[in-house]
Amino acid sequence: MRQDKALTVSKTSMEDALEIAKKGTHCGMCRFDFLGTGVCPSGKKYGFVAYWPQGRMQIFKMLKSGKVKPTEKLIEIANSCTFCGICDKQCNFATQLRPEKVAKALKEYTNNLDKSDYQQVVEDDIIKGLREIVGENWATNDPVIISSYVQTIIHPDSKLNFYVVMPENAEEISKIIKFANKHNIPFMPRSGGTLLSCATPTVLSKAVCLDHGIIIDLLRLKKLEVDAKSCTATVGAGITAFELQKEAHKYKLRANLAEAGAHVCANIASTGITSTWQNRYGWAADNYIDVTIVDDEGKISNNSDMDIKNPYTTERGFTDITLSAPGIITESTVKLHPIADDEDVVLVPFEHLKDALSMIMKLAQRNVGVSLIVLSRKYLSEFLCPTNSIAKDFEYICKNYLKLNYVVDVIGNKDDKRIVEEMADCTIDKSMIKTLILGAPKLASLKDSEFLKVLSEEKNPCKAIFAGPMRKHLEKGLDASPEQIAKVFDEDLQEFFKKVYSKPEMTDIIWLHSFRILPSRLMRQRLFFAQAGMIWAADQDKILRLVDMLSKVCDKYKLEHMLGFILPMDDGKYAFFEYDYYYDHNDPDATIRVSKALIETTENCLVMGDILMVLNYLFKGLYRKEHVLYPIPKGISEEDLALFRELIESILGDEFKW
Amino acid sequence: MVKFLSEEWNNISKEYILKKLDPEKDLKNVTTSLLAVIEHVPPNDTTMNFYLMLQDGKLTDFIVNTGDSSEGKEAVFTVSGNYGTYKSILKGEMSMAVALLRGRLKLKGSKMKALQIIKPLDGVIVSLKEITDEFED
Repeated sequence: MRQDKALTVSKTSMEDALEIAKKGTHCGMCRFDFLGTGVCPSGKKYGFVAYWPQGRMQIFKMLKSGKVKPTEKLIEIANSCTFCGICDKQCNFATQLRPEKVAKALKEYTNNLDKSDYQQVVEDDIIKGLREIVGENWATNDPVIISSYVQTIIHPDSKLNFYVVMPENAEEISKIIKFANKHNIPFMPRSGGTLLSCATPTVLSKAVCLDHGIIIDLLRLKKLEVDAKSCTATVGAGITAFELQKEAHKYKLRANLAEAGAHVCANIASTGITSTWQNRYGWAADNYIDVTIVDDEGKISNNSDMDIKNPYTTERGFTDITLSAPGIITESTVKLHPIADDEDVVLVPFEHLKDALSMIMKLAQRNVGVSLIVLSRKYLSEFLCPTNSIAKDFEYICKNYLKLNYVVDVIGNKDDKRIVEEMADCTIDKSMIKTLILGAPKLASLKDSEFLKVLSEEKNPCKAIFAGPMRKHLEKGLDASPEQIAKVFDEDLQEFFKKVYSKPEMTDIIWLHSFRILPSRLMRQRLFFAQAGMIWAADQDKILRLVDMLSKVCDKYKLEHMLGFILPMDDGKYAFFEYDYYYDHNDPDATIRVSKALIETTENCLVMGDILMVLNYLFKGLYRKEHVLYPIPKGISEEDLALFRELIESILGDEFKW
Repeated sequence: MVKFLSEEWNNISKEYILKKLDPEKDLKNVTTSLLAVIEHVPPNDTTMNFYLMLQDGKLTDFIVNTGDSSEGKEAVFTVSGNYGTYKSILKGEMSMAVALLRGRLKLKGSKMKALQIIKPLDGVIVSLKEITDEFED
């Protein structure tokens, strides 16, 4: 290789670019238009992850680490970026990263390569066969393109002996599967990739990643049709939650959906769609009318077909772990729900989880509220605040001055709101939430102020500031405006973010609950692992013991951690919990500690009983919830625990010894 | 060179398991039977199977056959998968448990019971790994 001019001429920018690339977490927010900017033109044109901002970041990281050698496709990938700046705007909103700097560095790197630096890509019979099915442009065995899939479906240490294929419909997928089987090549579908990106750095990597074979990228299945009359929508596997919600809202309807970037079909199959609307709208098979599935022999069927075996049931028990969906969902017809005219939101602050839990369960059992959740101060801060450091200070203020550790967050009609207000000491209304979103930077800057010290001496600081005479001072003092919040962004993006935050929806907490663009902020520049499960909710003390146990294990492994949320389901009979471990995904020691905490807490939950852990409901989202949740799981014996350990060892291999 | 599913493979596997695996230590005195169905066997895309039976940890039967059943033999568990999956398992690229949990092997019978015997069966798989060094392309 010729001397890397790029490294000598602009060493700093190359290093900066690599630093940015390493911080990328594949949140996938650059693949759909959530800010009204449009999306990356090259990603839209070429499809493969390599041509999207997240892919360029991954490729740059792989090239610089020497894990992949340049191919001629790299030139096309680097040149396909028009430097339009859309990715910087999108990524900055979610993660404060600047992917365009990486794209520029990639181009510079590519410009400085010699012909001899490129490896040849051999067109073998497999790639020829795949191209016959999907067309010349939609199948590749190019190692550079393949390297963009590392971390979301390929383990970072894997050899890049894969093919990537982008079919357009179920028939093509069926042909690909039959072709793969004939040639004895494993295959796996890829949708948004975010779930796998959270699992890949951990011990679960070996169990969930594809070791070699064909990656079936489902992005091109873009069907999206709303039938307002029947309150349903038919979506292809390439449609994200955001895209469906946007279409549904045109008809004043709402879909029950996961985070904005999650692909709807994959999310139904993987986790069954967990959302704040779950108590009312349901979980797992409650969410859909029908699905089209291609099974692992390439047979296409619908759940509504009369001649198939019961598609809604599953085995139960702690050893029943499933690491793949029963097939590839190519299309689903999902339920939509009417949005009431008088829908409103109310937040109730709490110091203690016990009190928040007691209220949310009462509301769930009385069927009050359409959306119900207990959020921790950590979630609230991460979601509302535009940067990591502001979120940190905001959380500090919540904890140390406001005694606001949890909020019960309710969206419902006017009657629901009245009931909540009657039950609560004080509430935070929609207008105050808007003030907190726009005024978060200013509030965070008051971290060590006299004002907050005085406030903290109040018996109920939240009541004093959100519902008492101090409210008007807060509103005035925070100077909550799009102009103010825009100032925290890079100078060249401030004008853009002023416009973004001027849009009513960006401060409308109900819109934000529906479109879920804020959870991506949990992945800004570092990853989190969500230890999650569903607990039988009759014994609320047990839920508190569970949270305490999860906290102690994380302390033991020196992890940044906190409860994310608890939300009721099935009329409050069950509670869904998510407890998060935050870690630097580039730190191998941290990933080991996360893995240990994950296994130890799973074991403890199995012993406690009444809990269905994520490992036991993953990839069961197509089933009827009653078949997954019931009978209520009993605590397992020592003997069973030994069996579980054996099972985990055999799944995770030698890398994770007890 | 012993080719997977060949007659020689069948004979050597049987001999190897009997000689090398301790019924108590390696096979936990397990009593069970397994029918492994291998689909898409190259070069003619056929289906084959091998049936094995363990009695108190001792191998009492090991037969290779064509088709998806071993005549007259009723197995407690039947696992089916394509040739490539078995190849990955025998090359040590994937454990049998992961293949089952990822749906690469389909199980007929109780998953819970299958997983309970997977540890002793691992001994058999390790033995087969030791002796199998040739596969159809």
